[in-house]
Amino acid sequence: MSMKYKQMFEKQKKMRRSLSKNGMYSEEDERSSCGVGLVVSIDAKPSRKVVENGIEALKAVWHRGAVDADGKTGDGAGIHLQIPVSFFYDQIRRTGHEPKMDELVAVGMIFLPRVDFGAQEACRTIIESEILKMGYSIYGWRHVPVKVSCLGEKANLTRPEIEQILISNSKGVEEETFERELYVIRRRIEKQASGMKDLYVASLSCRSIIYKGMMLAEQVSEFYPDLQDKRFQSTFAIYHQRYSTNTFPQWWLAQPFRMLAHNGEINTFKGNVNWMKSHEIRMAGAAFGNYAEDIKPIISAGSSDSAALDSVFEMMVRGGRSAPMAKTMMVPESWSKLTVEMPKKWQNMYAYCNSVMEPWDGPAALAMTDGRWVAAGLDRSGLRPMRYVVTGDGLLIAGSEAGMVPINESTVVEKGALGPGEMIAVDLERKILLHDKELKDELVDSAPFDDWASKIIDLEKVTKGKETQYYSGGELRTRQMAAGYSMEELEAILAPMAEDGKEAISSMGDDTPSAVLSKKYRPLSHYFRQNFSQVTNPPIDSLRENRVMSLKTRFGNLKNVLDQDSSQTEILVLDSPFVSNAKFSKMLGIFGDDAVTIDCTFDGDSERLALSKSLDRLKMEAEDAIRSGVGHLILSDKQQSADKIAVPMILATSAVHSWLTKRGLRTFCSLNVQSAECLDAHYFAVLIGSGATTVNAYLAQDSIADRVSRKLLSGSITENIRRYQEAIDQGLLKIMAKMGISVISSYRGGLNFEAVGLSRSMVAEYFPGMQSRISGIGITGIQKKVLEVHKEAWNEDQDILPIGGFYKSRRSGEKHAWEAQTMHLMQMACQKGSFDLWKKYSKKMQLNPPIHLRDLLDIKPLGHPVPLDKVESITSIRKRFVTPGMSLGALSPEAHKTLNIAMNRIGAKSDSGEGGEDPNHFTPEPNGDNPSAKIKQVASGRFGVTAEYLNQCEELEIKVAQGAKPGEGGQLPGIKVTDLIARLRHSTKGVTLISPPPHHDIYSIEDLAQLIYDLKQINPLCKVSVKLVAASGVGTIAAGVAKAKADIILISGHNGGTGASPATSIKYAGLPWEMGLTEAHQVLSMNNLRDRITLRTDGGLRTGRDIVIAAMMGAEEFGIGSAALIAMGCIMVRQCQSNTCPVGVCTQDEKLRDKFSGSAEKVVNLITFYAQEVQEILATIGAVSLDDIVGRVDLLHQVSRGAAHLDDLDLNPMLIMVDGAKEAKLNRLRDRTEVDDTLDFQIINDAARFFEFGEKMQLSYTVKNTDRTIGARASNHVVRKFGMNNKLQSDQLTLKLAGSTGQSLGAFLVSGIKLEVTGESNDYVGKGLSGGIITVKPDVSSSLVASENTIIGNTVLYGATNGKLFASGRAGERFAVRNSGADVVVEGCGTNGCEYMTGGTAVILGSIGANFGAGMTGGMAYIYDPYELSKAQINSETLLISDSLTDHWLEKLKVLIEEHNKETGSIIARDILDNWSTEKEYFLQICPKEMVTQIRFPIFLNETQPKVGT
Amino acid sequence: MSNNPMLKFTDINLETPVKRISEGRVDDFNEIYKEYASDKAEDQASRCSQCGVPYCQSHCPLHNNIPDWLKLTTQGRLKEAYTLSQKTNSFPEICGRICPQDRLCEGNCVIEQSGHGTVTIGSIEKYITDTAWKNGWVKPITPKIERDETVAIIGAGPGGLAAAATLRKNGLKVNIYDRYDRAGGLMTYGIPSFKLEKDVVSKRVTQLNDSGVNFHLNCNVGKDISFEQIISEHHATIIATGVYKSRELDGLKIDFENIVEAIDFLTASNRKGFGDPVKDFDNGKLNSHGKKVVVIGGGDTAMDCVRTAIRQGAASVKCLYRRDRGNMPGSQREVLNAEEEGVEFVWLSAPKSFVGKKIVKSVKVSKMRLGPADSTGRQFPEEIKGSAYFEDADLVIKALGFDPEDIKSFWHNPRLEFTRWGTIKTDFRTHSTNLKNVYAIGDISRGASLVVWAIKDGQEVAENIINNLKEPVNMAAE
Repeated sequence: MSMKYKQMFEKQKKMRRSLSKNGMYSEEDERSSCGVGLVVSIDAKPSRKVVENGIEALKAVWHRGAVDADGKTGDGAGIHLQIPVSFFYDQIRRTGHEPKMDELVAVGMIFLPRVDFGAQEACRTIIESEILKMGYSIYGWRHVPVKVSCLGEKANLTRPEIEQILISNSKGVEEETFERELYVIRRRIEKQASGMKDLYVASLSCRSIIYKGMMLAEQVSEFYPDLQDKRFQSTFAIYHQRYSTNTFPQWWLAQPFRMLAHNGEINTFKGNVNWMKSHEIRMAGAAFGNYAEDIKPIISAGSSDSAALDSVFEMMVRGGRSAPMAKTMMVPESWSKLTVEMPKKWQNMYAYCNSVMEPWDGPAALAMTDGRWVAAGLDRSGLRPMRYVVTGDGLLIAGSEAGMVPINESTVVEKGALGPGEMIAVDLERKILLHDKELKDELVDSAPFDDWASKIIDLEKVTKGKETQYYSGGELRTRQMAAGYSMEELEAILAPMAEDGKEAISSMGDDTPSAVLSKKYRPLSHYFRQNFSQVTNPPIDSLRENRVMSLKTRFGNLKNVLDQDSSQTEILVLDSPFVSNAKFSKMLGIFGDDAVTIDCTFDGDSERLALSKSLDRLKMEAEDAIRSGVGHLILSDKQQSADKIAVPMILATSAVHSWLTKRGLRTFCSLNVQSAECLDAHYFAVLIGSGATTVNAYLAQDSIADRVSRKLLSGSITENIRRYQEAIDQGLLKIMAKMGISVISSYRGGLNFEAVGLSRSMVAEYFPGMQSRISGIGITGIQKKVLEVHKEAWNEDQDILPIGGFYKSRRSGEKHAWEAQTMHLMQMACQKGSFDLWKKYSKKMQLNPPIHLRDLLDIKPLGHPVPLDKVESITSIRKRFVTPGMSLGALSPEAHKTLNIAMNRIGAKSDSGEGGEDPNHFTPEPNGDNPSAKIKQVASGRFGVTAEYLNQCEELEIKVAQGAKPGEGGQLPGIKVTDLIARLRHSTKGVTLISPPPHHDIYSIEDLAQLIYDLKQINPLCKVSVKLVAASGVGTIAAGVAKAKADIILISGHNGGTGASPATSIKYAGLPWEMGLTEAHQVLSMNNLRDRITLRTDGGLRTGRDIVIAAMMGAEEFGIGSAALIAMGCIMVRQCQSNTCPVGVCTQDEKLRDKFSGSAEKVVNLITFYAQEVQEILATIGAVSLDDIVGRVDLLHQVSRGAAHLDDLDLNPMLIMVDGAKEAKLNRLRDRTEVDDTLDFQIINDAARFFEFGEKMQLSYTVKNTDRTIGARASNHVVRKFGMNNKLQSDQLTLKLAGSTGQSLGAFLVSGIKLEVTGESNDYVGKGLSGGIITVKPDVSSSLVASENTIIGNTVLYGATNGKLFASGRAGERFAVRNSGADVVVEGCGTNGCEYMTGGTAVILGSIGANFGAGMTGGMAYIYDPYELSKAQINSETLLISDSLTDHWLEKLKVLIEEHNKETGSIIARDILDNWSTEKEYFLQICPKEMVTQIRFPIFLNETQPKVGT
Repeated sequence: MSNNPMLKFTDINLETPVKRISEGRVDDFNEIYKEYASDKAEDQASRCSQCGVPYCQSHCPLHNNIPDWLKLTTQGRLKEAYTLSQKTNSFPEICGRICPQDRLCEGNCVIEQSGHGTVTIGSIEKYITDTAWKNGWVKPITPKIERDETVAIIGAGPGGLAAAATLRKNGLKVNIYDRYDRAGGLMTYGIPSFKLEKDVVSKRVTQLNDSGVNFHLNCNVGKDISFEQIISEHHATIIATGVYKSRELDGLKIDFENIVEAIDFLTASNRKGFGDPVKDFDNGKLNSHGKKVVVIGGGDTAMDCVRTAIRQGAASVKCLYRRDRGNMPGSQREVLNAEEEGVEFVWLSAPKSFVGKKIVKSVKVSKMRLGPADSTGRQFPEEIKGSAYFEDADLVIKALGFDPEDIKSFWHNPRLEFTRWGTIKTDFRTHSTNLKNVYAIGDISRGASLVVWAIKDGQEVAENIINNLKEPVNMAAE
């Protein structure tokens, strides 16, 4: 080991700590994800084979892990096995003892400090004494043999001393008791060792043992030679390969954990951990008796989400629940809306579970064991794959991919894939395999759930009533003003909700100051930025996948989670935390004496600490109330008056909630909040995130009632309030969905926000657990602001509310960066090519009061000024500019093309945006201009993403999130889908197009790595960039993205623009790029990954100064969006969503497009001015090139700390310079990071004559699951040589593949290539299929019934535009998602089939999963439904279903089935065809409503029948 | 109720209120635009694009919340529209009539700029407030709290009146001194009633009177009361005298009986409208009936003169201006109206001399051309040698603009500081002069300008005075 390395390592360790303390990095943000699986012998006989299979499988998931910068250190892998008693008997004998055969033996797998022998000894002492204290005897310690040479340098440096302690059950207790007491021993050890860093008990059990560490999967058995020992036999093996964003090795975070291994991410982690703290207080299990206190805290500090999940899971199991029950309780399937599909008994069981504990929500594939059960399970959305096979020799093998363990195909009993929320388990006691249904049927019978559930009181039914109004007229206005309402808020935000039941839509970016920098009164909610998912976990589509989500709200008095009885269900429930005035008063009536109202106001003329004192009072009153036995607290600001000021209810709620949590009292009561300020969904979310059980927005409701009484809203008050609630409910679901949380109970109290501009000390006190990295306004500042607005409202005569100006600029309202004069100056500058005018513009911008964080900074010189001609040229600087992704569809074709031409002229880059690009752009214009974007975007809708498109660029950008609405999808309304747009997007004119919130092939970091791999195959020259939005933790994600081999990372600020988005999303999600960029730069530098990546940023870069600051913060390239639009004539009308852009920039209306006055010259001038200004600044600060200042945050210093009322606004965390960052050799122009070759490398050699001369060829290969993305590179060659739309025969090159193919089989496959698979395939088959043909059929020797077994994985044909797929077997979840042109036949599919489909034909000759066809707006689907089970599974919101097909369509269908039979030999297809006349009656035809008018042949019989006599 | 009734500019075309045809309208002095019908007003208001950056507001000196009251108008919420409009503008119906919207809000309207035809902001503004008057929504000001401080305002023009309104809203006492017999300043005597009917102004004066503003009319400061006395008797004093001194034709002999000043000509005409006897009108000096009239100048005053002359029954009316149509300071809309009514514009022409003894017979006119542009982009006219010709004239009206009068001597050397142009020197943000608690607003501080700027100054100075007085000296309940 090199000393240099070691020093660096130590330095890094220190840096990590200091950066976490002072910088933008937070260890909490680390993420991991992985491959997971299990092997279990159903007959419960231990065998060597199981172990070997487990090891084998580990070797086949290496690609789901990542390697560190040192090229060898893995992110962690491990295996969980039964204790091979005979093996350990031999070990005991070596210690000099004779094993006591009549006593059970337990083994502890212990990580000890390796270098510090004193500490090592101390650890041993702790362990031994705890074991002895419990009354067991110790055989001794065994030094576990390890082979260090296979470790990476980093892993080796942090390697612990690994030893086993061998224990005998000298007390002679039952196995169950022994196991439980070992658990208590372990918890005690962990508690004692909490001060000691490096002691970790990997496992301590008489049943099983875990071998794991910081290594690549394939090295586990090499590192631990034990595993290769023939005596090492087991009934089961649970294995895991980790992919972490973290590059700092932590041995103990390797999986599996004590009971489970987890692939995915727990999105509700914060809420779960917070609630566990409350549950713990009341937790007392009979099973633990006197030891109950020893096992707390259940979740150790510093646990990862998976580790915490494991800890709670283990506690539940030890407390007496079986593994399947614990899984059902913690990771339930969705149930509240599935009344049709799900048996009542199951619902009751879930209702019980819901009343006991908040679900742990998020993508999760779990492999678990409690000693008796070995089970695999999935989360409610089925966001991770779990394929399984039952072999002829009695093994259940389940895992992230199919084909990880070689098996005998001819004897296979079953092949399947778990669906959302499903489990499969082996009961080792009874030696049986149980499928999901059998398992749950058993579970529901294990306790009287029906009985228990009947005790739940549904308040919804008893609180209905006519809506009431508290205030009207002048008093209403006074209170509105005191709550900071404006006309804008009432007109543009509240009224649309009451009118349409939806949140208002807005457009373009946010250019107003952060709340902390504003001079205006800003409600406290404005300081909270919503968290959202990107890369490491997917957001949910709260509209189309609503069924997995729930706002069901529980009330009060949560009981001991370990109990299993009816007391836990003695609770109240509501359908939503939104409580109207009528409901609220009824609820109060029902609560009666069980509720206490706490007045949340304070005296007007009191001293400086009035607010802070009133918060103390609230806490005390709340505590007193609960201690006196009250079950419901009402926090209300209704008591305000001229001299009583309302406490901001967010503050009141969080103060009380966190206080009660701290005092262990929170589970004893519900927290019901009446807030005047609360008006939009964001405010509701902040209140609930701060701990509110229910929210009554009485003043917002009164404001609606007032409108109703003035006849400005139609319908009754009650109807309008119902629509308002609908909008708020949808808004809440959207906010939860954004970060992948399904159930509100897991969101409540989770503070899933990042504060921007709240004082750190205030946050620590009142919002514990939330991040506030730059500090800001504190209690006294808030008091001052609240006082001002209160006085103005109550003391002055006001005939009308303030006009507003927060969303749209108004002179008397909030400051906006873009104003009439600045826009005009800039446009004139660009039109006239006048740099003088630009300077005037730029000066005017800089004279604005602070709007962004960077406005508080100033630039220090690097040295003496240098002459301008010595500085990097304008031409060179310009090349660093990018116009970020703005789709054709949002933009008019003229505007889109103008940007491309302009950027190409100066050697800079434009980004096509989502929505494809006109192939005509791929050839130059007559005047020589190149109208094709250099960057092509790949977004979640995959519109127009064809093999050709992907090859017409220098860079492919994966848009993971968008600044204006991170975590959300989009929609292009039918009116904007013109002929051109429809052609480019492979859809139908006039039909709405939906972009889903997540990429359905990126639910996790290893998925992103896979997509990058795919893209680098289809285009072997391009770089790949990943667009992220600034958020806390973006640095960690960036590190993961870097490890996934991306070349460029774009950090978008929250203020990026959009063509349409809910107004509250534009305003309250994402962070300023300053924070995201500095974090990314710091964390990448810290992990030695910075020089692998080019950093780019965008979001409100308006002047050369902004560019220089961005560069100093670490950006090498810069995106100019809004400014480029303005240069082309945009004047921020902010009506992009309405297709009425008066200047023709953002509209598809021909008449308006005529008004477009932009030109490439203007855009070129714009970029030139930026560059010229940058050049000038560089000269004055003495830098000769931009490269000189990239990452030089030390050249920035804070010159203003904001307004006087702020506690402290400290930007220093952003200005931390990571050691060694200066040494990173940044080079924008370096080659791309290459990925490994695929089988295609071989194919291209073998089929040289095809690729060169187009000769027809046929090749055969044996494949395994590590052969990924087969066919993509070959397609690249075809596109380059013959074009995508070529004249080749469809099977000109046929590749016969035998075995289990890896992910992304046939990705972007083009016409001319045919893949014939015999065996099976994994996820993403036919991703982006561009004309090729794929067939998948079982091995000829297989005796499986194809239509009952899974043959292809999840997310098949995602974004396919053309081609065919025939698979003789079932497909997994999200089959044919966003298919826009491929024809496919399969024999069954999982949930969410044909989601968002816009074209092509899908034929399903078997059963379908739930939510079929959600958001499907184009194409056609046919389902063979002889048992009439399918209709209930279809989400028919956008669909029509016909059950008697017309001849025209029957003929089309038949042709496809015939082709399917011919290609795959499908038995069911043969059967159907043989009996066509009867079987054809069993088909359902699914057609999107919007398509009916677009197709020539009628769908329904009665349309075709000519009327008699006419 | 429709969801989004705005943004209709794509479907509905620009339509101004019906303009009376020129034939009948030149026979009287009534306003030439009719009122919108309510559905028409709603339709036209709905053309507004509800911009994210409202250029109309940015280019309105008062920063009126135009998109918002347009939306309220579309929705038929006229009372709210009025309240909102009144919030930023003391006299919206006046601005709606006489603002040169084509250079301010409407000229910068995004819809106009992008070629769809402007939203008719001025007409709707007028419609809103006229409706408010009709429905009795306009009430005298009744402040919540009466205060003891008093403020003096010298000049009852738009600036002074706007200041008075704002001060009364906040409960201060107001004394207005004006040398004329009627309040309103140029709104009363300067602007012809075919643009602004006189009862529009007088209704406002009455409202202010009813609101407790004390008008001291026919009171000439420096003569009837000294400036020093005024400032000593008030907590604050606002000078809002306007500018009345006509600009001269440099270097020309103008000592002729029938060369008159625009202000005299227009005042006479307006007084006649009130039914007052006016000696110089009745003796024909200021009456253009049957005469060949030549008006010199290209600003709004010139426009007022030519159109008044037409209505008085002039034989012909010609307007001489040294630049061309595109470079004139007056409103293009007014030029169009004037042309419709029979005025002849002689662009690029300047008087060289007047021919006649005591009475001008004709004007010697030189043709001009526009020279190279200066740094501001404005081209300076140059004479074309040898282009002179003669234009017959019975009455020549000088409408070359106004300069400040000699306040210094009128007011017997007050300690005020003046600029070299004769205006009172003020801080442009606070409007304060060098004297403590003395402020100057409108034309007397900024030079001849628009009514709307005077209103803005008046409102702004009142806010400043209120802020400066901080806590009320003595508060008395109503």
